[in-house]
Amino acid sequence: MSFLKAIISRKTGRAAVEPGFILFAVLLSFGALTPSQNETTKEYQVKAVFLYNFTQFIEWPPEAFPQPDAPLVIGILGPDPFGKYLDETVQGEKINGHPLVVHRFRTLAEIGHCQILFISTDEKNQWKQIFEYAKAQHVLTVGDVTNFQKQGGMIRFFPEENKIRIRINLTSVKNADLKVSSKLLRLAEIIEP
Amino acid sequence: MPHTGKRHPARLIMSVILLIAAVMLFPPRAYAQAPGHSFQVDTLKKLSLEELMNVEVTSVSKRPEKLKAAASAIQVITQEDIRQSGATSVPEALRLAPNLQVAQVNSSQWAISARGFSNVLANKLLVLIDGRVVYTPMYAGVFWDVQNLVLEDIDRIEVISGPGGTLWGANAVNGVINIITKNSKDTQGLFAEAAVGTKLRGLGSLRYGGKLAKNLSYRVYGTAFKRGSTIFHPDSVETNDDWTMAQGGVRLDWQATENDAVAFQTNVYNDRPDPDGDNPIVARGSNALARWAHTTSDQSNLQLQVYYDHTWRDFRNGFTEKLNTYDVDGQQRFRLGQRHEIIYGLGFRYMEHDVTNLELFAFEPAKKSLYLFNVFLQDEIALVKEKLRLTLGIKVEHNSYTDFQYQPNARLNWTPTPTQTLWTAVSRAVRNPARIDREFFLYLAPQLPFVAGSNFQSEEVLAYELGWRIQPHEGLSVSLATFYNVYDNIRSVEPGPPPLGIPITFGNGVKGNTYGAELSATYQLNDWWRLRGGYTYLKKNLEVKENSSDANQGSAESNDPSHQVLIQSMMKLPGRIELGTVLRYVGALPKPKVSEYVGLDIRLGWKLDKRIELNLVGQNLVKSSHTEFIPSSQVAKDIERSVYAKVVCRF
Repeated sequence: MSFLKAIISRKTGRAAVEPGFILFAVLLSFGALTPSQNETTKEYQVKAVFLYNFTQFIEWPPEAFPQPDAPLVIGILGPDPFGKYLDETVQGEKINGHPLVVHRFRTLAEIGHCQILFISTDEKNQWKQIFEYAKAQHVLTVGDVTNFQKQGGMIRFFPEENKIRIRINLTSVKNADLKVSSKLLRLAEIIEP
Repeated sequence: MPHTGKRHPARLIMSVILLIAAVMLFPPRAYAQAPGHSFQVDTLKKLSLEELMNVEVTSVSKRPEKLKAAASAIQVITQEDIRQSGATSVPEALRLAPNLQVAQVNSSQWAISARGFSNVLANKLLVLIDGRVVYTPMYAGVFWDVQNLVLEDIDRIEVISGPGGTLWGANAVNGVINIITKNSKDTQGLFAEAAVGTKLRGLGSLRYGGKLAKNLSYRVYGTAFKRGSTIFHPDSVETNDDWTMAQGGVRLDWQATENDAVAFQTNVYNDRPDPDGDNPIVARGSNALARWAHTTSDQSNLQLQVYYDHTWRDFRNGFTEKLNTYDVDGQQRFRLGQRHEIIYGLGFRYMEHDVTNLELFAFEPAKKSLYLFNVFLQDEIALVKEKLRLTLGIKVEHNSYTDFQYQPNARLNWTPTPTQTLWTAVSRAVRNPARIDREFFLYLAPQLPFVAGSNFQSEEVLAYELGWRIQPHEGLSVSLATFYNVYDNIRSVEPGPPPLGIPITFGNGVKGNTYGAELSATYQLNDWWRLRGGYTYLKKNLEVKENSSDANQGSAESNDPSHQVLIQSMMKLPGRIELGTVLRYVGALPKPKVSEYVGLDIRLGWKLDKRIELNLVGQNLVKSSHTEFIPSSQVAKDIERSVYAKVVCRF
């Protein structure tokens, strides 16, 4: 603690230093500590972990998987906001014998076998086709764009007071033969259009 | 720490800053190695779904969008700011707004104002709790002793200094305090707190939140406290002005559809303040509010609100005050074309004010029905998309005492870059007459009035504001607001005709101007340290008008500091320890003279596990006691240094 004493005793001596100046200097010197911008944002880190959690709180019908030990695929359609974070989250994880993997689809035409599809495109005319496909193939559709659910999307992330909330369109989920655990239902907002 | 007895406050502030800086220069190891701003995958994966939903994902400084874009001097105190400050009451929490003047007068009374005119009876602020107006039409001020809440349930407090503009109600002359509590879906589970200390003799709160249906949540709470006395200045004798209170309430929130939210809340309280230290006042009240909001998008919503508020206060000298308020408000916001965003609304308030008079101290008539009707319209025009916005608004009011009152305002908002806003505004606001201005009589003997009712008119202000807000990088935001206010028809005390000079009446004989600046900043230095604070300068030039012989020589019964500084530091240290520091400097008050002082509060919080948190808080640590405000007719009372310990459980 001797450095403290040294600083304080120097302060109480003659040389008057403006307190404002010290604060300013301190603030400036630490401005450099701000994070780099190219990492996954906190928002999408949390959303990635939500996607991982959905694999435990959603029940798929057996026909959603080609084989009993087939991987459970989390697909991302459109620009990928998660970076490596989602891969790190699901790495080495298994749900009911299905290893978790992440696939990325740049366009609608590329979409292949998957159980969860995170849709980051906001082209609404594509949504209709995607939702038709999801209903037939038992795919849980997840998005965070406004109106996502009005058009038939199943789970939407929405921001509220700095936190991430979940809204579930129960009709769409049921139409795709998916079951949502009561725990997830309890915490989410439910809409049944 | 070196002894602080006779040191100049500026020195003390410097030492504390240096201490903070020193701690920061040598950060604890565990934290130095932690990755900057991201969450560890393993940490997040271990959280339950509930916990995941409570993770904050954006830096607080950019949270409320209106904070960045608003063309007004708005500052926000968040729940986290309050929790980490160790504040134990609403007025103590308001000390965290650098643009407010908050002074404790005695154990239960406070003088709170913005941009000057502070007094125990300060009457130029509009104070709302969840949309319910809490000032009394008796004197247009607030009985702060009955504005109580479980502080944990507050979501945020928005403080706007300057005229509230069109959107806020009457009385928003110098500022608006808007206290917003959490939605009950965010207060699920059990919360219990118990505190004991030297001034805060005891405080206990219990709250439970649950769900009645999938989109219908509720919370029920009860809270009670006892606070000890202040001491007389300068002889340090106990004043016996201790204060006890009990309160309870319920809040229901129903997300009826994706676009419709309904809230209902009700509170009851029983309060025993004793500002004079002889015989405790009895204050009881209850209120109930219902609100329906239909939101279709960010720019389109409709809101309806009704409330009822009952207060009753027995001053225990025979004088009692009863007030029943009924209020209904509606407003709609929508987009018109590409450039216009319109808000309009109407409100009606009906108040039954009923006092029991004393022989020589009376409001005449004793019982009076008051009303206040308002209609407002505002157009926010995008002159250049996302760069330049012009807001034009007008509010028209009618009340029981005066003619129609017009309160227009124009605001221009220029956002040259996404991180910078320059704004300017011109607005007119009025303070309508309160009962005390018109109907108060004080008699020397029956039929011989010393003070008599008069034809007092509204006080007026024309405010010119210029502000700048900048966010140089994600963690730092700085705001500077400057103002020049021109006042007219401010209340004066006019002597009666000679030779006796009685009865004295209230007139509108004071005018003048005030100007000043409010600088504030918040800085999230890293994951574990946040700083916020500000500096406020105020200069007041009031004069007596030619036709007036104001007995107060133009003081407007107010007493304000010219300089005020606030620095709040919030640190999360290793071992689940939190260290919160609030340092404030308040300059001297001119008349009656009160010396400048430095207040220092320190909170040490320790999270034993997810459920239990221990707190040790020291308040007003710098001196053994200090005066903050002297009401005109009374002796000075001092606030003592105090300590309390608190246990908090969350299940």
